[in-house]
Parts: sequence; C-alpha cells; structure tokens
Amino acid sequence: MTADRFVRSTRKYGAIALVSARRALAERSVLAGRALFLGVIVFIFSRVWETVLGQGPQAIPGAGKRELIWYLAVTEWCLLSVPHLFLAIEADVRSGDIACRLVRPVSYLGTQIAEALGETGLRLLVLGPTGAAVAFWMAGGFPEDPRGLLLALPLGALASVLAVLSTAAIGLSAFWIVDTSPVYWIWQKLVFVLGGLLLPLELYPDWLRTLARCSPFPAMLWGPGRMAFGFAPEAALVTLLELLAWGVGIGVGLAWLSRSARARLTVSGG
Amino acid sequence: MAPAIELENLRKTFRVTERAHGLAGSLRALFVRRTREVVAVDDLSFAIAPGERVAFVGPNGAGKSTTLKILSGILQPTAGRVRVLGLEPGRERTRLAYRIGAVFGQRSQLWSHLPAADTFDLLARIYELEPAEYRRRRDDLVASFEIAQVVEKPVRQLSLGERMRCELVASLLHRPEILFLDEPTIGLDVVAKATIRDLLRERGRLDGCTILLTSHDTGDMESVCERVLVIHHGRLLLDRSLATLRRGFIAKKRVSVVTEEVELRVDLPGVRRLPSASHRTELEVDLDVIGVDRVVAAIVAGARVLDLSVEDPPMEEIVSAIYAGAARSVSRA
Repeated sequence: MTADRFVRSTRKYGAIALVSARRALAERSVLAGRALFLGVIVFIFSRVWETVLGQGPQAIPGAGKRELIWYLAVTEWCLLSVPHLFLAIEADVRSGDIACRLVRPVSYLGTQIAEALGETGLRLLVLGPTGAAVAFWMAGGFPEDPRGLLLALPLGALASVLAVLSTAAIGLSAFWIVDTSPVYWIWQKLVFVLGGLLLPLELYPDWLRTLARCSPFPAMLWGPGRMAFGFAPEAALVTLLELLAWGVGIGVGLAWLSRSARARLTVSGG
Repeated sequence: MAPAIELENLRKTFRVTERAHGLAGSLRALFVRRTREVVAVDDLSFAIAPGERVAFVGPNGAGKSTTLKILSGILQPTAGRVRVLGLEPGRERTRLAYRIGAVFGQRSQLWSHLPAADTFDLLARIYELEPAEYRRRRDDLVASFEIAQVVEKPVRQLSLGERMRCELVASLLHRPEILFLDEPTIGLDVVAKATIRDLLRERGRLDGCTILLTSHDTGDMESVCERVLVIHHGRLLLDRSLATLRRGFIAKKRVSVVTEEVELRVDLPGVRRLPSASHRTELEVDLDVIGVDRVVAAIVAGARVLDLSVEDPPMEEIVSAIYAGAARSVSRA
C-alpha cells in the first residue's frame, strides 16, 4: 500500500468512525444503560471483595481490597466499551443488506470495524469516568500507587480494539453458520474466565494461569487491569507487545476469513 | 465505441442445502448434508452501449438481481466473461465502485439513524469527491429531486417515497457512468412512482449515464427505458426496443371498475370481461381494437362509477406471452 493510498483510506474510515460515534452519542439511553450497568457491576463486586477480604491480609502481594476494586473497574471498562459488532454483521448477511455495502469503494469489513471503533471510542470516553467515579466511591480513594492507572488508559483502549477485531471474526462466521450467538457465547465465557474479568490471574491455580497466558484473553483484560496494582512499566510493555502480536494475528485471520466469506457470498432475495 | 456493459455466456450457480421433512429428516441432516445446484443465470450474453437506458425484466427468480449483483462486483460469476466499463467487476470491485451507482429498492444504502445530508457528506468522503464540486453536485441534485425539506430529518422518519429520492441522490453524487436500479419503485404509491420515473428519465438525459433497471412494473420500463431485455429461468428470452415490445406484447390494458350496480355490462369490440366480483368488474382492453378512452367513456355513460383504474397487465403475463411466442418460434424453426 502506498503512503498516499494509506492516507486516503485512513481519511475514509476515520470519517466513518466519526459518524458512528455521533450516532452512538445520539442514542443516549443505550449509553446511559451501559454506564448504569458498569456502576452496578462495580458496586456489587466491590461488596463481594469487601466480604471476602474483610480486614484480612492482601489476597495478592501489593494488592488489597482497594486495588482489586480498581482492577474490576478497569476490566469492566474495557469489556463494556465494545459494541456487539457480530450482530451487525450477522444481520447484514441474513437480510442481504451486505449487497448495498459492497457497491461502495470501501471494504465491507473495514467499514464495519471503523463503525465499531467509533462507537467504542465514545463508550471508552463515557464509561471511563463512570467506572472511575464508582470505583473511587467504593474503594474510598485511588489505589496506593495511582500512576498505574495512567498506563491502564492506553492499554485498555488497545484491548478494546482487540476485542472489536475478535467480534468481527465472530460476525464473519455468519457466512457459515448464520446464527453467530453460540460462537459469541463461547468467546464471551472464555474472556470472562481466561481473561480474568472478575479475578486477577494471580489468584488462579498455576495450570489455569499457564493455559490462560497462551490465549489472547489476558491481554484484553488482566493486562490493563493489573495496572491498578501499581506503576509497572515493564508489565505494561509486555501487555502492549502481547496486544500488538495478537492484533496482528487476529488481523491476518480476519483477512483470510473475509476472503473465504466473499467466495461463499450469496445474497438473500437474488 | 466500446460497450458500457458486456456479458458473454455468463453463468451463475448456487449450492443450496436440502433438508428432508420431519424429525427423522432433521436428525439425518445432522450427519448427511444434501445439497443441490441451482442455476440462477445460464449462458447469458448481451451488450449495452454507453448512455443506453435498458430495462431488465422477468418474473421472480428469473436471475435479474443476480445478474445485477455480478455486474456490480458483489457476486462472482461461475463461468463466462463480464466487462463493465472495461473492468472485470469480480476482480476490480473497488475501482469499478467509483464509476457506478446502485439502488436496491428493498434495501437502503443510507444510514437510517442519520439525516440523509450526513450520509451525502460521508459518501463524498468515501468517493473522495473534491469538496467544492461535491457541494455543487449535491445542491443541484437536492433541488432537482426536491428533497431540501427532508434531508435534515433522520432517514428512519422519512416516507418510502422521500427515502427513495434520497437513495437516488446518494447513488448519483459521484456522477456514476452506469446506474444499476433494482426495483426502484417497489412499494411506492402511484404519485411517488411517477415522480421517481420522471426524475430517472431526466437525470439519465442530463448526466448521460447508462441505466440498467430491473422491475416487475411495466410502467417503470415504459417510462424510463428505450430497450428491454427479458430474462426467464436465467436465460435471455428477448432483446428488443421498447417500441417493438409495446407493439408486440403490451397491446392490452386492464380496467378495474367499482360501480353502484351489482353487475356492469360492457358490450364493445376488443373488450373482454375477466373474472369479477359483485360491484367490481375487471375488463381486458385490446388496444389494437379499441382505445381505453372509448371504453372508459362507455362505462361512465352506462353506470354510476365509484372507482376506476387502468393498469398494464402484470409482468408475469407479458413474460408468459413472450415465452409462449419464443417457444412457438423455436418449434417453427
């Protein structure tokens, strides 16, 4: 790809992402619902952590109740910012609307991902302060070393991009299985468990932690979340490299899936 | 001059899964998958010159939409040669997309949650239009299609007729050399249909773009096109000028009358009574024998008319007549 073509493509997909963010902003009730859900989740699990830990010793060296509440706020922030892109792709494949999208001089998949990223960006901006406010209230303040949270911001944003790419791959499976919800359901549960949504991987048995580290899921949640335990630039760098490596891997997989899907394309109604 | 569109022996097949009926069939389908090949387009060849306005008609499942989707690069042909503006659509979809426009009547290319004006701005970015030229073109089209009052409303709040006018503007912004129209008037009322047809004819003349239109409505092809391709079971059945087709196959009109009288009697040469209900009479008028105006005058003179409409025969009937004619010529040969 030449530099000129890259700039032109970036402008096109950037414009699509901006329009999508504007749409998401217009759907205030959806946004408010997500923010409320994030607040409730952080509140409930903060109570759980309080009950489990009480005034006892730290569950993880360097991480007490306060850090664990902030960990939860970060992981939920990353996950809840990701829209259900797979449903949009599935709907286009089922209805045949994909035909309308393919007559434009842009990639269908690129357009879908740009739209999802626009919405993700807006959600990150809205849910970030919401999660932070609830965590601050429930934990009674910032983590002992709050500088780690600054590292969690870019890592969380990148983690959401990786999650968007994963859900795009799930959406493309509609070309083979039509109903993508079972695939999404499995993916979601793997993210919850292997990603460490509620519990940091430090609390997992060794075999499960080793298994989880072989998957992309810890980079999506545990990596950004553990920044709440303290300022750790080396750990942040590892997470960043993992996110980039998995991003390239999933990107290559998406390109292959997209080519295979085009070959299978039949359009409903002719 | 090179043709704008050229097809040679185009063939498109799909594999469809067949499922047996009942629980046993469903269980068997878990282990044994039976598929069947369906031929959507079969050995189709034609060429369209730049600037021509061509109707591509045929009954449901004839292969019209599939052909349009192959021509616009959405679907890949199974066999045959396809050239659109000198490009191979399946391989050069993106390059071709800058030079063609498409409207699918049953689907929307507008972002439903946004005002149409925002979609136009976004399309200007996508088609990389020069800003000043884009604004001139948009303003011209908005005025021509009379949508200035509706472009700022979210598309989901527009009526079908308003939306379709916005769809057409969206497809014309980048000055396409070819416009593919798939059932552009489907679902519209009589007035909206007439408006869309007038606009299409006018824009075709002004922009000089080639139009390939599929429709079930003979009114669309009569109003917009100058040439007709009839397709049936994926094969080209007829390729004629509209004037020839009109003389040969659209020589009849249908008149539906609702009267206060239970039964309406019309004894005129060239008028045939079709199956009718009480108070509602259906007539077929042979235009070679008698004009519709004379038939309507006779009806109004002899009965208290509550409602009256004059329509073309359905496309299925025209295609059946053409098909029967083609079959007779084949058997004579």
